Amino acid sequence: MTPSIIKIVDEDHQIAKLSAIAVALSLIEFFFPSPIPGIKPGIANIIILYSIFKFNYSIGIWVSLIRVFVTSIIIGTFLSPTFFLSLSGAMFSLLSILIFKNYNKNHFSLIGISLVASLAHIIGQFIVVRIWIIPHNGILYLLPLFLISSFIFGIVNGAITQKLLTLNVKK
Amino acid sequence: MQKILLLIRDFKPGDWIIIIFFLFFILMTIKFFLNFPNGQYLKIQKNSEVLGIYSLNQQNIKIIKGQRGVSEIVINNGKVRFTKAPCKKQYCIHQGWISKINQMIVCIPNQISISIIGDKETHDSINY
Repeated sequence: MTPSIIKIVDEDHQIAKLSAIAVALSLIEFFFPSPIPGIKPGIANIIILYSIFKFNYSIGIWVSLIRVFVTSIIIGTFLSPTFFLSLSGAMFSLLSILIFKNYNKNHFSLIGISLVASLAHIIGQFIVVRIWIIPHNGILYLLPLFLISSFIFGIVNGAITQKLLTLNVKK
Repeated sequence: MQKILLLIRDFKPGDWIIIIFFLFFILMTIKFFLNFPNGQYLKIQKNSEVLGIYSLNQQNIKIIKGQRGVSEIVINNGKVRFTKAPCKKQYCIHQGWISKINQMIVCIPNQISISIIGDKETHDSINY
């Protein structure tokens, strides 16, 4: 047997575990019917926020991208417009978290960062939709609806992540 | 309820700034959404061929012959609606009046669509 050249470190195991949870959460979200089509709570983002602030930013990027690719392959939307929408949303929210990564704990809590990330997610998706998928100004009518839902779920997800992080500190 | 109060107590000043900014942004988009400008012209299309562009500042009834029969479109000083359609479900009539730029009503069985355009047309159709 040839020895493997790639050395597997603890970080890889961590990434694999976290992305497995994230993929499972987004699959649950996919199968769970939503009252308004297109609006999803984005519970997988709890795991991504958690992995960024519990471990480090590069683990967060890995988990986020693995989640997008693996989920789309399982659902069967790989390389379709849906996939590019979720990819652009993930990219924009990662970029926005990069700005707030080294935040001061007295000035921001995770709820604020989660809100910024969800806003960036929606804006990224709308930019891609407007430029590429539906080049029509009519889709801007949907913006308030999506912004309100992202506001609510941003707060909820941020609160859950904060709870998760404090739980582990106690342990 | 108490847990929600505890959650709000944990908010930091930066969070409040972000929340206020976010709500402001939502209000701006809602305002934009409500104040979508009224259009000046009506465009009637059969399939993708433009049958005509008419001013909205008139009271008029247009009768258009489509794939299955006759559709009747009423223009009433700035707003437009379908009043007759040869189909069973009459979705186009239930859409009611339209008056703002980029709004449109499509009658699929009869293959006729009406849309409102502004001074000059920016986008031809939904491409996807």
